[in-house]
Amino acid sequence: MGRNGQERAGTGRRAMNITQSKRPLFDRLADMNETALAVLLLAPAFVFISIIVVYPVATLVWNSFNDVRLLTGAASRWVGLENYALLLADAQFWRATKNTMIIVLVTVPGSLVIGLGLALLANMPFRWRGPIRLSLLLPWATPLAFVGLIFAWFFHSEYGVFNDLLQRAGLAPKIWFNSPALTMMAICIATIWKTSSFMALMLLAGLQTIPKSLYEAADVDGASKWRQFTDITLPLLVPSMLVALIFRTLTAIQSFDIPYSMPGPGEETQTLAMYIHMNAVDYLDLGYSSALAVVMFGLSMVTTFIYLRYVKADGK
Amino acid sequence: MNPPFSCSPIAIRLVIRIVLMTGILATLCGAMRAQAQPSTQTNLKVLVGGQHRPDIFRELLKDYEAANPGIKVTLESGGATSELLQRYLNTVLTARDTSLDAFLIDVVRPAQYAAAKWAEPIDPYLGNEREAFLSRYLPQYRTANTIDGKTISLPAFSDAMYLYYRKDLLEKIGEQPPATWPELARIAKRVMAQEKDPNLQGLSFQAKAIEGTVCTFLLPYWSMGGEVVKDGKLQFDRQKAEAGLAMWRQMVSDGVSKANVSEVGTDDTRKEFQAGRVVFGVLWGYGWNLFQSGADSRVKGKVGVVKLPAMPGGESVSCMGGWSWAVSAFSRNKAETVKLVRWLSSPEVAKQLAIRGSMQPVFADVFTDPQVLRVNPWLADALPVVETARPRPVTPMYRPISDALRLNTNAVMADARKPDAALGEIEHRIKRALR
Repeated sequence: MGRNGQERAGTGRRAMNITQSKRPLFDRLADMNETALAVLLLAPAFVFISIIVVYPVATLVWNSFNDVRLLTGAASRWVGLENYALLLADAQFWRATKNTMIIVLVTVPGSLVIGLGLALLANMPFRWRGPIRLSLLLPWATPLAFVGLIFAWFFHSEYGVFNDLLQRAGLAPKIWFNSPALTMMAICIATIWKTSSFMALMLLAGLQTIPKSLYEAADVDGASKWRQFTDITLPLLVPSMLVALIFRTLTAIQSFDIPYSMPGPGEETQTLAMYIHMNAVDYLDLGYSSALAVVMFGLSMVTTFIYLRYVKADGK
Repeated sequence: MNPPFSCSPIAIRLVIRIVLMTGILATLCGAMRAQAQPSTQTNLKVLVGGQHRPDIFRELLKDYEAANPGIKVTLESGGATSELLQRYLNTVLTARDTSLDAFLIDVVRPAQYAAAKWAEPIDPYLGNEREAFLSRYLPQYRTANTIDGKTISLPAFSDAMYLYYRKDLLEKIGEQPPATWPELARIAKRVMAQEKDPNLQGLSFQAKAIEGTVCTFLLPYWSMGGEVVKDGKLQFDRQKAEAGLAMWRQMVSDGVSKANVSEVGTDDTRKEFQAGRVVFGVLWGYGWNLFQSGADSRVKGKVGVVKLPAMPGGESVSCMGGWSWAVSAFSRNKAETVKLVRWLSSPEVAKQLAIRGSMQPVFADVFTDPQVLRVNPWLADALPVVETARPRPVTPMYRPISDALRLNTNAVMADARKPDAALGEIEHRIKRALR
């Protein structure tokens, strides 16, 4: 291939030489060696990413080693790992991390199962497919904070629909937001309702890439519908599932809007993102909140890494 | 054949075009004329919260503009609660935004504004009249707005928590308003037994995770002589705090207060009292005006106001509220803004605010002004309460302290956290904030 390639490049260069007078820039680019060209072409993207990703993340990490409390009026000073030491001794940090993990562990599988069901339904060839696909988009299109506020009303102890249903069924109404466990349940229900449609849309796209011929062949071989589902649909859906799961897990780790608009008692149901927001926006304690954010960043990185490893292993 | 007066689509389009063009031309001319106006006009922008009756301030500012040609004041109204308004200002002021010239800040915040250098100290603008000017205010409001000898903000209106009660229901059973919390519980139980109304609750107070719940925590704690922060250090009396929380919990377990008190915010108490479903209510001064003259009020003429009950053996205390005008340190028109703010915190404006919006003045003589008393007869009894109301912890780190107190009180009242654990967390959080 080496010689052929060189020859082809040579022909290209000769062709360019003809138009040299008209397009000197392209010509000069063509004459550059490959490394220089690569650097030149990547530079704009690199500058752009440095400004919008590297600089903020570096500032965040730097702040996490400093005492930056704007409310004290004092200048920021280097404190090393003090913010991280405070964090380890902070009961609320552990509570917020626990709550975030509960949301991840409940709502990610929850929305996967419900989303898969919805995707299969929307993929079936029947006449209500159109409306079903349309209704799938609705929760996805509703802003997160609206979902939180709507569900907060659903679960209100006096005016909520859930207590009304309980009473109609002859059960005692509950003060949902008085109990951390019930509040977490309400938050998870709202989150699953909101995020299942995203899952369903991702999985529906995956389902449509599975060739019909596979099912036809399975039919000829006399495989049951269940067998077709476990042996054709599920394995071929794994790549789409993994992509959807990465996105879903990352947004679950960052849960803010819904738990924020459905507050439980005290800070019992606070998530990590809410605790960061509280320290950054309300207390203007940028050092401590940066340390918290670094931890959350680490959690997201680890999660992504694990998924990607799985994707690679699966690819082999 | 076309009838003589028919309009063809082309004619309609033509008319629309002419109208549009005229509109655009008029706008352009207007804009050009606005540009051509003398540049001597000063534009000021002030911010108040949604709860501060922006409608009244807008009217008052028109008077100011009329009396001060060349000054144009724009009023912006922001967050509906103290926390939301402050969150907005946190963002604006951290960014050193120059677009806001003055804003109303909660009486708990001057220390924070002083430390963060967000407010322009007023003293240099007062010159020789400083002492005469500041001595007109009620002493504790002057103190609350002075940090390390600097006047950070000027008091706009005062507030305190009161005990509202149903005069008619107490008279029926021949009881006087209570002096202590256990006495209140006893009377409330008698009224509830007498009325046999399942919707009637004995006492409504706030334990939702709002700023007012800091006062809920502090009222019994202060009444027993407790303090939170002294000389910048935590001074926490666990026993007193526990007794205070136990008193509120007793109210719920005795059925005097509703079980969902952890969902009750300031305006919930107001609404329920106004609907005639509450015997005693712990509430700020704004309730009176609405109870007496609200269109849907069911308690008109049946309301009494007294100072809050004490813990047995303790003293009656109230939580000091109110708001102040601060001049932004980033304003481009500080001198003009200070002038405006001096007017906004003057006795004349205080009188108008009291008459039009039942907002409590910060001047002793406005409390007793006959015109003010005609609209707000209760203000005659309010002055002694305001004068003995206590300020919440004065520190730049007020916000984390407020969160520690209100969130833990809320969790205890919701039965989600044991008082012991909650008090431990309060101590831990405040220590960290004051580190």
